[in-house]
Amino acid sequence: MTPLLEVRDLRISFPRDGTTPLVPVDDVSFEVHRGELVALVGESGCGKSLTGLAIPRLLPDNASLGSSTRITMDGTELVTLSESAMRPWRGRRIAMVFQDPMASLNPVMRVGAQIGEAITAHQSVPAPEVRRRAIALLAEVGIADPAERVDAYPHQLSGGMRQRVMIAMALAGEPSLLIADEPTTALDVTVQAQILELLDRLRRERGLAVLLITHDLGIVAGRADRVLVMYGGRIVEAAETTPLFAAPAHPYTRGLFASIPRLTGDGGRLVPIAGTVPPPDQWPEGCRFHPRCPVAIAQCAAERPPLAPVGDHHLAACWVAAGRTP
Amino acid sequence: MKSAAAGLGLLAALLLLALLGPLVAMDPNLQPALGDGTLAAPSIAHWLGTDQWSRDVFARLAHGARASLLVAVVAVSVAALLGVIIGLAAGVAGPWMAGVLRRVIDVGLALPRVVVLLVLLAALGTLPLPLFAVVLGVTGWPSLARLVRGEALRLRHAPFVAAARALGASPVRVAFREILPGALPPLLVAAAFGTADAMLLEAGLSFLGLGIRPPSPSWGGMLLEARDYLGTAPWLLLAPGIALVLATATATLLGDALRRSLTPDQR
Repeated sequence: MTPLLEVRDLRISFPRDGTTPLVPVDDVSFEVHRGELVALVGESGCGKSLTGLAIPRLLPDNASLGSSTRITMDGTELVTLSESAMRPWRGRRIAMVFQDPMASLNPVMRVGAQIGEAITAHQSVPAPEVRRRAIALLAEVGIADPAERVDAYPHQLSGGMRQRVMIAMALAGEPSLLIADEPTTALDVTVQAQILELLDRLRRERGLAVLLITHDLGIVAGRADRVLVMYGGRIVEAAETTPLFAAPAHPYTRGLFASIPRLTGDGGRLVPIAGTVPPPDQWPEGCRFHPRCPVAIAQCAAERPPLAPVGDHHLAACWVAAGRTP
Repeated sequence: MKSAAAGLGLLAALLLLALLGPLVAMDPNLQPALGDGTLAAPSIAHWLGTDQWSRDVFARLAHGARASLLVAVVAVSVAALLGVIIGLAAGVAGPWMAGVLRRVIDVGLALPRVVVLLVLLAALGTLPLPLFAVVLGVTGWPSLARLVRGEALRLRHAPFVAAARALGASPVRVAFREILPGALPPLLVAAAFGTADAMLLEAGLSFLGLGIRPPSPSWGGMLLEARDYLGTAPWLLLAPGIALVLATATATLLGDALRRSLTPDQR
C-alpha cells in the first residue's frame, strides 16, 4: 500500500549572515498511511514543529528546503508546487491544528463564521448551508448545544472547547491528513485526554491520518500506531508504539522513558537526561546525542549513526544499539 | 460616559437641524419683499435674523448643515475606503510592494492637506457638492492608511492568521476577513475624529471661496459673507460660527466615547 504522505530527506535551512546556514532539520524521512496516527516526539528545539510546518509549506519565508527533499502526498510532489498551487492543499487535504487555541481563533469573529471561512475557502457554498455545516462540525467534535455555540465568540468558550473549534475548522475542508502541533499542551490534563480521544475517534470514523507532534511521550501511549522520536533535527528512533514502549533502543528514548513519573513500579527516583539540548548552531559531529549519552563510545563522536533496523519495524540511529542486535 | 451622552445629544440636535430645519425654514436663496429689511436682527419671523441680501439666516444655517454633514460623511467614507485598501496592502504585501506603499503613505502624510486641496480645487474649478466631498476624502486617506498598516503589521503574525493560512485562506481573504476586523476599532475612532476635520476643512475652503460656492448655503460661506458686518450684525457671524463649533465638538465627543468603549485597557 502506498503511503498517504511520504517525506524523504527533509532538510530545512535558514541563511545566516557571514556563516554557514542554520540547519535545524536534517535528513528526516518518514511516511504516514491513511487512517494512521503517527506521533512525532521530541523536546523543544528538536525540529518537530518545523517538520510539521514544512509539509503544507508554511515555513517562514527565509527558510529553504534541501535539494533532495521530497514531500509526496497522494502521488503529488508538494515541494515543487507554486504558492497558488499549494493553497488548495491547505485545509482541503492537509489541515493543521496549532498549540494555542486561545490565540489561534480570531477574537473578533464568531466561531461559526470562522468555521465558515474554512469551508468557503475551498468550496462555494450558500450561507445557510455553511451555517448548517458549521453546526454539524461543532456537533461532530463534541461541543454541546452546537446550534447556540455557533454564534459564540472565542472568549466565551473554555480552552478545551476552543481547541475543539480549531479541530472543527480543520475538518471543514474534509482533509485526509491532520497535522496537530502540540494540540493539548495548553490544556488541562483531563481536557488533554478528551482532545486526544477526539482525534483518535476522528481517525477511526473519517479514516483521517493524524501526525501528532508532541513533547509528551505519555499521551502517545495507547493511541499512536507509530512513534518517531526526534533529537537534534534528526529522527533517532522510529517504531510501532508497542515495541517502542516495551524496548526503547536509542539511549535518548530510554532517557525520556526514565524521566517519566510512573504510577506503578518501585517508586524510584526519576532519572533526568544529563545536560540540555544544544541550539542548532552548536550541534556536535557524529551522533548529536553523544555528549549527553550515558553509553557513548568513541565511534559516536566521530561518525554519524544511520537509522538502522534494531528489531521488527523498529529503527534506531545508534552505534551501540546497532552493535547489540544479533 | 458623559462625552457619549453629550455627543449623542449634540448629534441628535444637528441631525434635527439638517433633516427638519430645511422643511420649516424658507428657501435659503429667497429674498423676502423689500422693506422686510436687510440685516434684520433675530425676531419671530426670522429666528436668526437676515443677511445683507435679506435672506433668512436660519434657513441658510439649516441648509448649510445638510451640506456640511453630507460633505463630512462622504469625505470620511472615501478617505477610510482608500486608507483601508492602501494600509492593508502595505501591511500584508511582500517586502518590495510593502516598501513602495510605505513610501507612498509617507509622501501622502508629508504633503499638507490644505495646500493640496487648494491646488486641486483651483485646478478642477467649481464642483458639485458630492464631488467636492470626494476630493476632500481623496486627500484624507494617508493618516488612516498609516493606522491600518500599523494594525495589519501587528496582526499579520498573530496565531489566528497563521491558522487561517494553514487552512488555505488566500492573502486577500486573510487581509479582509482576519486582519481588517481587528483593525476596525481604531479605524472607527480615527474616522470619527476625521469627520470633525472634514467639517472644519469644508468650512475653511468655503470661507476661502473654494468649497461650496455662493449662492449655495454653507457655514464657511456664511462666515465669509459675515465678515463685513461684524459690528452691525453679529448674528451673521455667530450663527454659523457656533454651529461649526458644536458640530466639530459632536464628532470629537463621539470619537472620544468610541475610543473609550473600544479600548477598555486605556480607560
